[in-house]
Amino acid sequence: MIKNKIIVVTPAYNEEKTIVEVINKVKPLVDEIVIVDDGSSDQTVQLAEQQGVTVLRHLINRGQGAALQTGNQYALKNNADIIVHFDADGQFLAEEIKDIVQPLEQGEAEVVFGSRFLEKKSEIPWFKEKIILPIGRIVNKFFVGKSLTDSQNGFRALSRKAAEKIKIENNEMAHNTEIQAKVFKNKLKVKEVPVTIIFNDFGQRFGGGIKIIKDLFLAKLMD
Amino acid sequence: MFQQILALVIIAFFLIRLFWQKRKKQIGANEFIFWLVFWCLAAILILSLKWIDKLVADLGFSGMGIEVLLYLGIAVLFYFIFRLRLKLEKIEKNITKIIREMAIKDKE
Repeated sequence: MIKNKIIVVTPAYNEEKTIVEVINKVKPLVDEIVIVDDGSSDQTVQLAEQQGVTVLRHLINRGQGAALQTGNQYALKNNADIIVHFDADGQFLAEEIKDIVQPLEQGEAEVVFGSRFLEKKSEIPWFKEKIILPIGRIVNKFFVGKSLTDSQNGFRALSRKAAEKIKIENNEMAHNTEIQAKVFKNKLKVKEVPVTIIFNDFGQRFGGGIKIIKDLFLAKLMD
Repeated sequence: MFQQILALVIIAFFLIRLFWQKRKKQIGANEFIFWLVFWCLAAILILSLKWIDKLVADLGFSGMGIEVLLYLGIAVLFYFIFRLRLKLEKIEKNITKIIREMAIKDKE
């Protein structure tokens, strides 16, 4: 089997507390990890550069969606066969990158989404599990048409072909839904694999959710 | 009657200002035409308030003509806000494009 070149894209905005740990855990497991600094005002860039990884710098903050797209374009340019999106806040487990990449390597899928609701059990706070995520699923169903078991998971892997087709236009958090919509629109083969999420305080809050819905509506109008 | 005259005086003031700005080349041709049409239309509407009153009554509204103009004005404003938002969104996207190009170019 030909070895696929795997590039991990990690958007980071003021993640000095976790960035070094994330880099050190991910780096040995893949061909390259690229940090997309989204205009951080703390030590994120310096710390990442000290680890000897590629750091792309957004001069000003443009949002996570924008950072992911920058990473995608860089990865495509550098001949990535597989692109993995991995958060910088330490919510994902580096060991699970191989699980999320596997369906792509075996040709079972072109896009793989991580899901918190298959087999493995993440400890999800009550309010998030019972209120925010169900609303997220309804919103997704409306905009995407189809629904994944975990609509708001940022851990995903794209084949080269998929990354070429999906151009993330939503600068901020609505990109999550946007990616799914474009995956289904382009009829890309999708697979979900179970992943573990370690919850901390940095996830989406309710206000953030409202903003996502607003951004999605605006994007629909722009089409 | 007095109110109408006052409104016309205000419109005349803005029209004069408009021509002044045009002469000093502070505004482009398109913008000039837009505001010219806008103020002239406002003047025409004010001059024909009686007629609008009648029209509005015939259409079955209970309000005065001037109120209907106000409603229309708000509707138009909303439309402009909407257009502005779309335009802003487009600018945001363009900024992102520039920032992205710079970030990637930096690494070549």
